[in-house]
Amino acid sequence: MFNIPKEKAVPLGCVTPAPVTEQPMMITGNWREFRPVLEPEKCDLCMNCVVFCPDACFQLDEAGEMVVLNEKYCKGCNICINECATDALIKVYELDFDDGVVRLETPF
Amino acid sequence: MASKVHQITVWARGVVQDKEGRDIANGLANAAEKDGKFTQAFDNYVDLPDRVNVPLRKYARISDEEIEERYEYENEKPEIVIVADATIVKGMNILRGMEKGGMLVVATDRKPEDILKFIPNRDLLSTIVCIDAKAICGEQTVDFSGSEGGVDSLGIGQGISAPILGALARGTNLVTLDNLAAVVKNQEALRKGHEQAVVQALN
Repeated sequence: MFNIPKEKAVPLGCVTPAPVTEQPMMITGNWREFRPVLEPEKCDLCMNCVVFCPDACFQLDEAGEMVVLNEKYCKGCNICINECATDALIKVYELDFDDGVVRLETPF
Repeated sequence: MASKVHQITVWARGVVQDKEGRDIANGLANAAEKDGKFTQAFDNYVDLPDRVNVPLRKYARISDEEIEERYEYENEKPEIVIVADATIVKGMNILRGMEKGGMLVVATDRKPEDILKFIPNRDLLSTIVCIDAKAICGEQTVDFSGSEGGVDSLGIGQGISAPILGALARGTNLVTLDNLAAVVKNQEALRKGHEQAVVQALN
């Protein structure tokens, strides 16, 4: 249809590098009111929390034996608590913990 | 020379506390206006549109003379900071821009010490007021009436904003409880908040 010389043609769409690690520009840890807390003895590694977390906060640890929560990005939606097959996750009020302080200067 | 403009910043959770945060700012400004003061109350433009649970700001200004910086859209140096959800103290530098001798009002069931340990720049504060607003009048109202210039069908101060405003009147003399009572709808919660507020002077 168009007579575009081959050396000037560009491929359809565009390619951007996918975030393979954390996105420090989009920290959402300060949205959280209730934090999911894992009881390791109840967990059977069904990986529901890993799959359902919208921010990919649950990941396997290095040994691959337990899931760990990244508090910096967990925004407290508590979907993981709903989806946990063995009720190994409970929700705990954020002020009960001393850690998990994000302290941004502006909201986003 | 213009007199000092008192800047008040309200922190609330997006969507779920949008109405409550707005009620605190509006109620404060309307009550101070009954004293013959010049006031204004507005949302933070940068924080909008808000998403659920995002920390967002509402502003109020009270002055004895006409507010010259009326069209400045942020409170750079808040004198009073009100936090409608206590978990925000872990996630934000809520005292940013505050000069020494400010006041903090937190809606929480915890003691003032438990809140202050999360605030590294707490030496800026001269007073902290804690009020268990949810115990006084239950959960907050989730409503969009009154937002972006719309008609406020619910009225100011139906939910947790009423006890927070009552607690605020304990810590400051910018507004009186009688003027707040003329504005706020939930009178009982306002007075309970005024009575049950835990006021602690610092330094």
